[in-house]
Amino acid sequence: MESLGLYPTWLAPCIGSGWIVGIIATIHVLFSHTSVGAAIFFAWLASYANRTGQPKYLEFIRRYGLFLLVFSYVLGSITGPGIWYSTTVASPRGISALIHNFVWMWATEWVFFLIEVTGVYLLTYMATKVDRATHLRLTLIFGLAAYTTMLVIIGILSFMLGPGKEAWFTSGGYRLGFFGANTFAHLAMRTAFMFTMTALVGGIVASRFEDRDLREDVGRKLAWLGLVATAMGGLLFLWYLRTLPEAAQVVMANRLPASFGPAMLAAVVGMLAYFATWLLRPRFLHPVGAWAATVGILLLGLWPEEVARESIRKPFVAGQYVYSNQVVARDVPGLGIRSEMPLLEAKGFLATHPFIPTSLRTVHDGNRLEAGRMLALIACSNCHTLERTGMRPLGNYLGGNQDVAALAGHLQATVGTGHVLYMPRIPLNDVEARALATYLVTLPAGGAR
Amino acid sequence: MTPEQLLALRDQAGVPSHPGIFLALGVLTFALHIAAVQVMLGAAGLTLWGAFRQDVRWRRLATLMLTTAKVAVSVAIVLGVAPLLFVQVTYDPFWYTSNVLSARWVIASIVVLIGGYLAIYLYYWKNPAGAEGPVRSPWLMVLSLMLLLTVGFIIHVLTYQMNFPELWMTWYAPGGVVDPSGSGLHAFHLPRFLFFITLSLPVIGAWLLALRRYLQVRPHEDAAFLDFLGALSNRLTMPGGLVALLLGAWWMATLPAKMAAFALSPWVLVAVVIILATVFLPRILGPRLDQGLWGYATFALGAAALILVGTAREILRYRTLLGSHGYDPLTYRIQMDWYSTLTFFLTFGVLGAATLGYMLTVAWRAGQVEGVYTPTPGLARLGRWATGLIVLWILHYFVLGFITWGA
Repeated sequence: MESLGLYPTWLAPCIGSGWIVGIIATIHVLFSHTSVGAAIFFAWLASYANRTGQPKYLEFIRRYGLFLLVFSYVLGSITGPGIWYSTTVASPRGISALIHNFVWMWATEWVFFLIEVTGVYLLTYMATKVDRATHLRLTLIFGLAAYTTMLVIIGILSFMLGPGKEAWFTSGGYRLGFFGANTFAHLAMRTAFMFTMTALVGGIVASRFEDRDLREDVGRKLAWLGLVATAMGGLLFLWYLRTLPEAAQVVMANRLPASFGPAMLAAVVGMLAYFATWLLRPRFLHPVGAWAATVGILLLGLWPEEVARESIRKPFVAGQYVYSNQVVARDVPGLGIRSEMPLLEAKGFLATHPFIPTSLRTVHDGNRLEAGRMLALIACSNCHTLERTGMRPLGNYLGGNQDVAALAGHLQATVGTGHVLYMPRIPLNDVEARALATYLVTLPAGGAR
Repeated sequence: MTPEQLLALRDQAGVPSHPGIFLALGVLTFALHIAAVQVMLGAAGLTLWGAFRQDVRWRRLATLMLTTAKVAVSVAIVLGVAPLLFVQVTYDPFWYTSNVLSARWVIASIVVLIGGYLAIYLYYWKNPAGAEGPVRSPWLMVLSLMLLLTVGFIIHVLTYQMNFPELWMTWYAPGGVVDPSGSGLHAFHLPRFLFFITLSLPVIGAWLLALRRYLQVRPHEDAAFLDFLGALSNRLTMPGGLVALLLGAWWMATLPAKMAAFALSPWVLVAVVIILATVFLPRILGPRLDQGLWGYATFALGAAALILVGTAREILRYRTLLGSHGYDPLTYRIQMDWYSTLTFFLTFGVLGAATLGYMLTVAWRAGQVEGVYTPTPGLARLGRWATGLIVLWILHYFVLGFITWGA
C-alpha cells in the first residue's frame, strides 16, 4: 500500500495546538531577545565603564545578569526547547522539515548557546574574581556569542516563510534556503526590537537600585537605547514587509485581524512615549511600571507579531512546500522531495494515511460520521479547532450550511481546487467530501460537539 | 506499522551528512546531558539532606551543592538540546509519533520543568544566609526534586514508546476509535528509569571526589571538610554504583521479548565492567587521589562509563527497530551538504573548543585563588583568539549571506 508520511494528530483542547505553539514562542521571544540584546549592551557598557573609569556600571551588569539568569536562562532556555516540543506535537512535519534542512545550523547555534550560557554564569558569579581586562573579554565573548545565536535562528525563521532564494527548489543546499532579502530585513528588524526589550527589561533591574544617581543614570542610557531601537525597529519593520513573498503580502492585506495594524502601531508609539517619559522624568522609572510595560509589549507587540508570522506563511508551514496540514504540497527537485498531492488525488486520505483505524479505511453509512471526524482531524485541525473556542473554530466557517450534499460540493469546489486564499488545497474525492461534510454539519456555527 | 509505513514517515529531505554521524553525536551528547542530570539530582539530594543536619560540614556542603544544582539544571537543559536535535534527524518517525501520542504530557513537561527549576531558585532566595542561618522552606527542594524527576519520567516514556511501533495504533485508536487527546503515557519500564536515576549516586560521589581535589589546591582550605568530602564520596560511589548495577540487571532481566537477547550482548558486559571500574577506582588509587590530576580520574572514568552506557542504550534501540521493525537509521538517504557540515564541525571543534576552553579555564583558576585572578599571558592570548574567531564567524556569515542574496 502506498503511504503518506503523515503522523497522528494531536487535538489540543479549547485553544488548538497552533496557539499553544504561539504562546510558548511569544514568551520565548521576550526572554531570548532580551538576553541577546542585553549581552551586546553589556559588552558596550563594560567597555564604556572601563574607558571612563566608572566601575559602577559593572554592578548594573552583574545585577542585570543575575536577573537574566532566571528571566532568560531559566525560563528562556526551557521555552526554547519548549518550542521544539510544542511544534513536534502540533506540526511534526513542519519541524521535521526545518530540522532536516538545517540540522547543522541548529547544532552550530547550540555551540554558541553553550558559550552564551557559560558566559552569563561567569559574568554573574565571577565578576569580582577576575581582573578588568578579563571581565571585559568575557563580556565581549558573551555579547558576540549571544548575537550569533540570533544570526543562526533568523535564517531558519525566514525559511519558514519561504526559502531565501527561489533556486533552492531546484538546487537545494543550506545557503540558498537560508539567505535571502527577507533574512536580512528580518534580522535587522529583530535586532532593533531586541534592544527595545533589553531596555524595557533593564528598567525592571535599574528601577530597583537604591542609589538614585545610578538608577537615573542607567535609566537614561536604557531610555536612549529604547527610543533609538524602537524608532529603528518601526522603520525596519517597513523594510521587512517589503521583503515578504507576494503570497504573504496578499494574506497580510486580506486575512490578518483588523486589530493587527493598530496593535503594532500602539506598541511602537506606546514604547516611544514610555521611553521618552522615562528620559525626561527619570524618577518615573518604577518596578511596577517597568513590569507593566514589559507585559504590554508581550501582549500588544509580540503576540500579534507571532500570530501574524504564523498567518502570513499560510497555506504553508515551512519552506513553501509543507502545507499547514502537514501534506507535502510540491516537488522540491533540489532535495529529491516529491509532492504527495498526486497520491492524495488518486486515493484520498483514508486509504493512504498510516494512522487510520482499519474500520475507517472504507467509508459506509455506519462509519461516515466517524470517517468525517477523522478527515477533519487530519486535514483541518492544525489550523481550526473543532470546538467553540480557540483558534479559528471550524464551525464558524460553514455559513450555517446544513445540507451535506451541498456542503460536500462546496468543499470540493473551494478547498478541493486550492482557490481559497491561504488555505491548503485539500483534494477530496466524492466519498471523503461527503464524509467530511457529514461531520461538519454537526458543528453548529460558533458551537461545538 | 509496516516497515514501508515507517520509511514513508521519514523526512523526504534526507539528511545532510552520513546518518552514522548523527547517531554518534546523539550518543555523545546524551552522555554529557545525562551526566549533568545526574550531578543535578545528586546535588539537589545532598542539598536537601544537608538542610536537615546540624553538622557544620554538612551545612557547608549543602550550600555548595545548592549552587551546583542550580548550575547543573541549566547545563543539563543546554546539553539536552543536542540529543533532542539529533534524535529527530534519524529517528524522526519514532520520536514524532511517540510525542504526539503523549502530547499533553509533552507540553506539561515544559511547565513542570519550569516549576522544578524555579523551586530551586526560590529555595535559594529563601536561604540567603546559606550555611550560616536556619533553613527555611526545605519543602521547596523536595518539590523541585519531585518535579524534575517527573520531567525525567516523561522523557523516559517518550523515548521508550519509540520502541513499540506495533502498539502505536492501539494507543492512538483504542478499540478502533481515534483518541487525539494525547493524554496517555502508554509505556514505561521502571527498572530502566530507576537505573539512570540511581546512577546519580556514584556520579555525585565521583563529583565530590573531584571537588575535594579542586579545593585542596586552595590555600587555607579546611582539612576537616576535605576529609568529610572524601568519606562521603566513598559512601556514595561504591554502594551507589552497586545499587545502580542491580537495577541495571533488573532492567536487562525484564526486557520485553523482542529486546531480551540484548541482555547477553557484549555491550552490556562492557558497560558493567566500566561502571565497576569507576566505582572501585578510588580504592585502587588510594593516596594518589591527592596527587596531580588523579583526584579527577574517577569522574573522568565515570564520564567514559556514561558514554558506554549511552552507546549500549543506542544499540538496544537500533537492534530493536532493525530486528523487529526493519528500520535501519543508517540507510537514511543522504542529501550531502558539505557547507553546513563543515560549518558545524569547525565551529564545534575550533571555535567552540577555543572559546569554551578559555572561559572554563578562567573559571577554574579564578575559583582556586584568593583575591582577583589575572590570566597568564598564554591564556589571555587564547581569549583574544577566541574573540577573533567569533568575529571571523560573524564576518563570514554576512559575506556569505550577502553574496548568496545578491547572486
